[in-house]
This record gives sequence, structure tokens and C-alpha cells, in this order.
Amino acid sequence: MTTTLPPDPNRPGCDPSGPQHAPPPLPPLAVERVLGRIRKPGRYAGGEWNSVQKDWATVVLKWCFAYPDLYEIGMSNLGLRILYEVLNDRPDRLAERCFSPDVDLQTQLRSARLPLWSLETRRALRDFDVLGVSLGYELTYTNLLDMLDLSGVPLTTEERTEADPLVIAGGSSVLNPEPIADSLDAVLLGEGEEAVLEISDALERMGWHRRLGPAGEWRRGLTRADALKALARIPGVYVPSLYRPHYNSDGTFARLEPLDAEAPPQITGRIAADFETEVHGIRQLVPNIAIVFDRAQLEVMRGCTRGCRFCQAGINYRPLRERAPDVAVAAAQSILKSTGYEEIGLTSLSTADYTYVNEVATTLHRLRPQATVSLPSTRVDAFTVELVDAIVPNGRRGGFTFAPEAGSQRLRDIINKGVSDEEIARCAELAFRRGWSALKLYFMIGLPGETMDDVLAIADICLRVLQVGRRYHGGKAQVKANVSTFVPKVATPFMWSGQDTTAEIEAKVAALRKAMHGRGLDLHWSEPRSSILEAALGRGDRRLNAVVRRAWRKGAHFDAWDEHFSYERWQAAFEEEGLDPAWYAQRDIPLDEPLPWDHLGCGVTRQFLARDYRRALLGKSAADCHWGPCYNCGVPAATGFECQTGEQGPRALLVRPETGETEPGDGVAAETKLGRWRYVGPPGDPRRQGSTDGAAGRSNGAADDRAGPEAAPTSWPYNLMRTNVQSKSAGLSGLASLVEAAGGESTG
Amino acid sequence: MSESKQRWRIVFARDDDARFLSHLDAIHLWERAFRRGEVPVATSEGFSPRPRLVFAAPLPLGMLAEHELADLFLSERLTRPDLSDRLSDGMPRGYRLIDLHDEWVGGPAVATRLVAADYRMTLIGVAADRLDGAVRALLAAPALRREKRREKKVTAYDLRPLLLDLRVRPPDATAGAPDTPYLAAAGLWMRLRNSQDSGSGRADEVVAAVADELGMATVAPPGSGEAATEEEAAPGLSIEPSPGRPVLEIVRPVRERLWLADELAL
Repeated sequence: MTTTLPPDPNRPGCDPSGPQHAPPPLPPLAVERVLGRIRKPGRYAGGEWNSVQKDWATVVLKWCFAYPDLYEIGMSNLGLRILYEVLNDRPDRLAERCFSPDVDLQTQLRSARLPLWSLETRRALRDFDVLGVSLGYELTYTNLLDMLDLSGVPLTTEERTEADPLVIAGGSSVLNPEPIADSLDAVLLGEGEEAVLEISDALERMGWHRRLGPAGEWRRGLTRADALKALARIPGVYVPSLYRPHYNSDGTFARLEPLDAEAPPQITGRIAADFETEVHGIRQLVPNIAIVFDRAQLEVMRGCTRGCRFCQAGINYRPLRERAPDVAVAAAQSILKSTGYEEIGLTSLSTADYTYVNEVATTLHRLRPQATVSLPSTRVDAFTVELVDAIVPNGRRGGFTFAPEAGSQRLRDIINKGVSDEEIARCAELAFRRGWSALKLYFMIGLPGETMDDVLAIADICLRVLQVGRRYHGGKAQVKANVSTFVPKVATPFMWSGQDTTAEIEAKVAALRKAMHGRGLDLHWSEPRSSILEAALGRGDRRLNAVVRRAWRKGAHFDAWDEHFSYERWQAAFEEEGLDPAWYAQRDIPLDEPLPWDHLGCGVTRQFLARDYRRALLGKSAADCHWGPCYNCGVPAATGFECQTGEQGPRALLVRPETGETEPGDGVAAETKLGRWRYVGPPGDPRRQGSTDGAAGRSNGAADDRAGPEAAPTSWPYNLMRTNVQSKSAGLSGLASLVEAAGGESTG
Repeated sequence: MSESKQRWRIVFARDDDARFLSHLDAIHLWERAFRRGEVPVATSEGFSPRPRLVFAAPLPLGMLAEHELADLFLSERLTRPDLSDRLSDGMPRGYRLIDLHDEWVGGPAVATRLVAADYRMTLIGVAADRLDGAVRALLAAPALRREKRREKKVTAYDLRPLLLDLRVRPPDATAGAPDTPYLAAAGLWMRLRNSQDSGSGRADEVVAAVADELGMATVAPPGSGEAATEEEAAPGLSIEPSPGRPVLEIVRPVRERLWLADELAL
């Protein structure tokens, strides 16, 4: 469906009398001839349901979301679906899309001398005012350079002029964008639903869009330098070029020097208000060709308080917010209706932890019996099994996925994955009893404090689970262990911890392979050297910009795909810049050393992370802070969001441990637990708690005035997958494992 | 399974916005469109019931179409305007409803009644007069030996009896677009047998035969290429098939119409 919206003459800066900049699309025949020579041309053709084609002559500010990965991956991203709707819902804004062209199209574009085009109106990316870039994963940085280069946009902010769009990045990797910062004009930290509109409004007010000059030429009303300063004033926006890094003689990072009065010393990520009651991304894009997550998605919860120490998303998306159950049900129905999908994923970092998961899933099942509800959850407990059991039809039970992450209880305490061997076995038993014959277990190796005994414990637990399975399914029972290499992520308690060396990882994998063989046991592990690169780029500083460009010039791209990844190429690029990937990836960083990403945050303090890291090294676990004590992570003070912890004990108590049977969450308890988060807002925010027109009502949001999901606006593209699952995306075959990781329980 | 109470023959066209769908993608797209438009589609029997929508002939990826046929079975009766509205509510850009015929539910499958299909396309790399010579030669040939590849198996067959008519036409208007004024282009129109009993001809095979006649090579477009009728073309799809041979390139292939037995006497 094409939505063509008229311009709103009341918007500031929108001149209804004068036409807006509308350069011609690329020549149709040239595009057709290129599409005729490549695989899967449907990736680049557009025309999807719910895509929006607007008339350029009536729209002031034009965005293109440039997603640095293949169509099938990018179109699965919920954040993109959300922000696309938020911007296009505004009559005076326009957002189109572009994804990384696969290698065959790159060759064709270069030989035909055609620029990369947007899917909606097939215009060159250079014609847009803003390129919104999603940085969800370090191994896609080279793809971003591909896209810029194929669009004729200079690779670095320094080389760009007013003829080029602003390149603004968002996503979960932006907690440390330094290794790609030279290529980014600005970075938005945190959630994008509101910020993306603020950025648009600021740019239009300042005149960044092209206007008709006296001589009939189109030119921007603002210099690039002034545009960047204007962006730096928006909360949550980081403009890398307004800072200069300094290093010590031993190569360690010393400090970041602000070069401009507009450059704030510390930038904290945005948090979208009203998550509980407002839903953006109702009219979700529906691809014409099959993609990785080919289903509707509703984010039921944002954030996670479990406190797994390797997990970046659990820190980045604090505080935890849950959608009111009636809001979730109404939104799910609207999404199914507007997309025509028959499957909807209730997504979050840990959907089994969503207080109303049971009632939302069962209500949906009752209201739309033909629709499938899938739960991308990996919590290891009986509740999860019971829940999935209630939702997934008997005939579709392929595999059930758990993520114990570590083999031994000792190591699980270190990483704070609070689950015991007995619980794993009990869960497995329940799943086998309910008809699943194959279990998939996710583990990491190379975790801080890990010994060979911990590694071999992976084999022990897998064998134990397999024996349980044999009792129910005999020789048909299967256990698949997926082992990835630990990658220290910034903004986590483990960010200081160095990675194992390749030799250590290889020894661990070899030992595991020896211990795990035989019928019904299956071991998969990921390429450890791409994990080194992921860690080096993840913990890198600005000196890596030159390395990334060098590797890209040597032909590096699609580094997350085994068939394209070459560690040698990267190694050479590091060496030519006088740097060592191992220094970045494998070094244990002293707790008092300044870090290249110290100025960027999501509200969680470095002190808290360091405390938690020390607790980890002592083997002490920490209870879920929603139910347990507050660990003083710093989010309320930094963001203006206040948290309130649960009073009724952990949700796991919904399961009677003696029988393993569940007790459905009762509605009364659910009512009282509504709206555990209250928006208090930074000082001066009218929504600030206590102000006269404040959001007091929001704390029991289900009952009061709500515009409903249709009126709802959205989040910056972020990845639904846990970061360690993402690192498994290597190889085309990785697509399948990604699918299973996200919806394995129900899609099998 | 739900009982079929009504059968509608849908006549539809496919434009640029939807041309790069494989047949499987298209089936999924129609199914989602029915759900969006709340069309009460009857479902098939079996463990996982499918909506009863039967196409006369799969439309290859990349091919435009002007007169395609599909039979849709409904579980409750709708009036023509009602169905028409519901279909337009749910169909994405790129599909156009042309006509709806109320058919007898118990009639034979539409595919079994198909006899022929008309195609037209623009060929880049050849002028009309040269193309005309090749067309005459092909029509005069008693047999056209071609090879059919399915996976690794290669079978020889004769294309000539499947080729009912072949003519030179003016090229598509966009082929004369300003960006390619230097390219020689000509239009080609053909009528091919398309029948479950006596075989179906493929437009790209005819073009390949034309190219052979001209001493040229073809670039397999996604719509009519060897492996490209499926979801993707073969990974080894060669861009410059045989160096040295000039390339004959197909653009804007269109299936103009499908013919049923009672519409066309052969």
C-alpha cells in the first residue's frame, strides 16, 4: 500500500508555495539491466507492503536508512520497521531504505557506474539530507564503507561537503563507535523513537535541507559545521569530529579533548518515554521475498534486569519497561491485521520474564486462533517450557533452545547466569516429555575465570541432558551444543577482561570435541578469529579508523560471513598501521585506565560495572535487581527514569518446584504490578514526575487515558539477538541458526 | 479443510513493483493479501491447510504480466464488488486486478485448460533488420534442438513445435530512454505452446535460439534465465557468458496473456 501524504503547511520551515528538492530517480532501464544480472533482485526492487513512497517535491527533509547488512537481515530488524513508521507518519518527513548490496550487485554497480539507490523512489543516496545508519554489530563496519563508497559519499566526515548527506548512526554498537567514528557525522545513543524526530526538526529549523536559490540552484541553508554543532546540542547525540583523542606513549588511551564549546563532556543515551502504553511500528514493512525473521514483531518488554555480566543489551536498554497487557494485545492485533502475517513474535531480551507473557499469549491465541505466537526466549526454567508448550502446536515441535552459557555452576555464578545443573536437567526433561526430541544448548567458551574443567563441564551437561532425552525418545533424542567465543563488550562488567588467545580457544574446542561425540550429540562452534576482530573493534579507539579503511581497501566486507571473512587481511591492515588486534582484544585492561568510550554511556556508571566485575572474579552471583537488592547501577540518576522493584518475589516462583507444573500468573497480581517504571524526566521536562501535568497516571497506565496503539509513535534499530548469538551469524548457513536462535522453540 | 462455496477466476496483471518475486514468494504475498483484505478463502485438506488459490501457470521471477489467471476458492459467497474491494484492500503495489469471473466450483483446474501464452520483450544489442533475418530462419527451421537442464540432468528436446509464432516488433518505449541512446534495440513477440499435455515453451529458450542464429550470447535475466526461475539464479551465473561473443540482452519481458482452450484454436 502506498501512502501519499500531503504536506502540512503549518510545519515550521515548510514552504507550501515552493516546491522542494526533487532530483530525478535513476534511469529505469539502467537499473533494470543491472537487476537483470544479479541474484535475488527482489532485494533491491522495493514495492513492499507498507513501504511508503512520497512525492519528493512536497517533503522538506529526506532520510534514507542505510542498513549495512543484506536485505534479509536488515528487513528483520524491528528498530528499522519502527523508525521508518515514525518518520513517515510525519507529512513533512520522508524515510526510504537501502541495504548492503551483495557482492554481485557491487560489481555490477561499479561497472555500470551507477550509484546505490533507495528502494522506494530509486534515488541516489547522495540526494538525501540524512543517512541513518544502523550500527548493531562491529563486523558490519566495512559494509558501511561499501555503501558510502558506492553512493559517492566520502568515507570520512572531514572530506564531506554540503553536497553530501549527514551520516548519523544509531544502534547497540554505538556505545563505542570510536573505531568507525571518522565516518560518522553524528551518533545517536540509546532509543530513537523521539530523538529521530528531534534531530529532523533541528535540522529543518536550522535549514539543512536543500532550498531553491536565486540562480535556480539547490543549496543547503546551513554549513556542515553548523549542522554538526546543532546536532551536538541535542541530548543523546555525539558528534565525534568535535573531539580529539590523546594517547600515552605506551599506546594506552589518555583522554578525549572537546574541541568546541558545544561538545558536552559526557553523553548519555536516550530513553523513549511511554514505552508501556505507546506502540510504534504497527504498519510494519512486509518483504516480498523471504527474510530471516519473516514474521510480525511486537516488543513486549524493553530492558532486562537479570544482570548477565557478558550481556551488553542488558545494560544498554535499562531501565526495564513492560508493555501493559491490554496495550500489547491490541497492538499485536493491529500489527497482524496491517501486515497480513500469521505469525507474531513477542520480542524482548527475555520474553519469559515479561510479567504478562502468559495472559498476552493466551489472549492472543483466543482472539486469533489461526495466528502463531512465537517467543524468542532462552530462559532456562520450567515456566518457559510450559509457556511454549501452551503456544506451539504439537506438530511443529522441532527443537527447543536453552542458553545455559557455561557448563559448570561455578562459571555460571561468575557470569551471573543463575541456573543450576538440576534446573537444566529438569527443564530438559519437561521439554522432552512435552514432545520435543531435539534440544539446542548455547554456550560460550573463553569466559573470564574459565578453566578446562569448566569447558569439559559443557560436555557433561550435554550428556546428562541427552540421557534424559533417551528415556523419552530413545535413539531419536538429540542435543545440539552451539559454542561461541566470548567477546568482551563495552559497557558490561566484563569489558575489562581480555579474550583468550586463539591457541587457548583452539585447545578448548579440541578438548570439547574429544569429549563430545557419539550418537545424538552435535557440536557447533564459531570461527574464533572473527571473535578476535569483534572484540578488537568493540574495545577499539579512533586509531582503528585507519585500520578499518585499510582492511576495506584490501577487500574486507561482510566480515560476519565465513565465506568473505579473512583474518589475514585484517591482520595485515593492523600491522600496516603499527597496531595489534591482540592488544585490543586479549589484554586485561586495568580497572583504573581511562577508556576510549568513557564519554559515552547509557546511564550505568563505570563504578557499578567495576564493582560487579570484582564480584564476578570472586565467584559471587548477583540476584535479578528487579526482585533483589538495588546495586546502584546509576541509571535513575543519569536518565531521570526511576525504578521500582517487584514486591511479590521472583517470577520463577510461579512454578511449583516439586512438580515442575506451572501456575498461571493470576490477574490480580498482574494488576498491581502494572507500570513499575515511572517517567520522572530530566529537570525541566514537563513530564517530570511531580510537575502539574506530569505523568503520574502512567504508573498505572492500563487504566487511564491512552491514545491507543494507532496513535503511537518508536526505537533505534537495535538487535533482538543477544550479542553472543550474533557472533554466530558467520556464514550463509548462519541464517538458519539465527532463525532458530530467535524463534527456535516455536519454529523448530 | 473448509468447504468451497464459490470459485472466482482472477484475471490480474503484475507491474514493476512486484516483478522480482519468485512463484513461491508470490503465493505467500497473495495469502497475506487475503488476510489483510479479510477474504474468506477456503482451505485445502491436510495437516497444514493452505488457502485454495490455484494459478494457471507460475510467473517466472522478473517477468511482467498483463493477463494472468488464478482460481480462488471461497468458503462463503461474496458479490463481485465485495470481493474486488477486499482484494484491492490487501494487494500491494505491483499487482492489478483486471477482471473477476464467477466459475463453477466443480470445473476442471485452470492449468489443465491452458493451451498457449504470448510474450513480448525488448532485445538490446540487435537492430530490427538483423533480428528479422534470425526470426525468419527460426520459423523456417524444421527442428530447433535445445537442451533442458534440471539439476545435473541434461535432456535434449525440440523447441520448434512449441513455437507457434514469432515476430519482430518495435522495442519498449523505455529502451529508447535517454540513458541508452547508443544501444541498438528491437522488440520480439512470440506465441508459445503452454499446455500440460503437449509441453510448454520458454521465452528465454527462444531468445537463446535467436542469439545462436545471430552468433550472439545471452545474459540470463532473472525472469527467464536458466536457473533464475527459482528463488535465485545459479551462483555461477556468468555475466559475460562467452568472451568475444556480443551479448543479446533481454529487458522488460512481459507475458501478455495466457490462452485457454476455448479462447484460441491451435
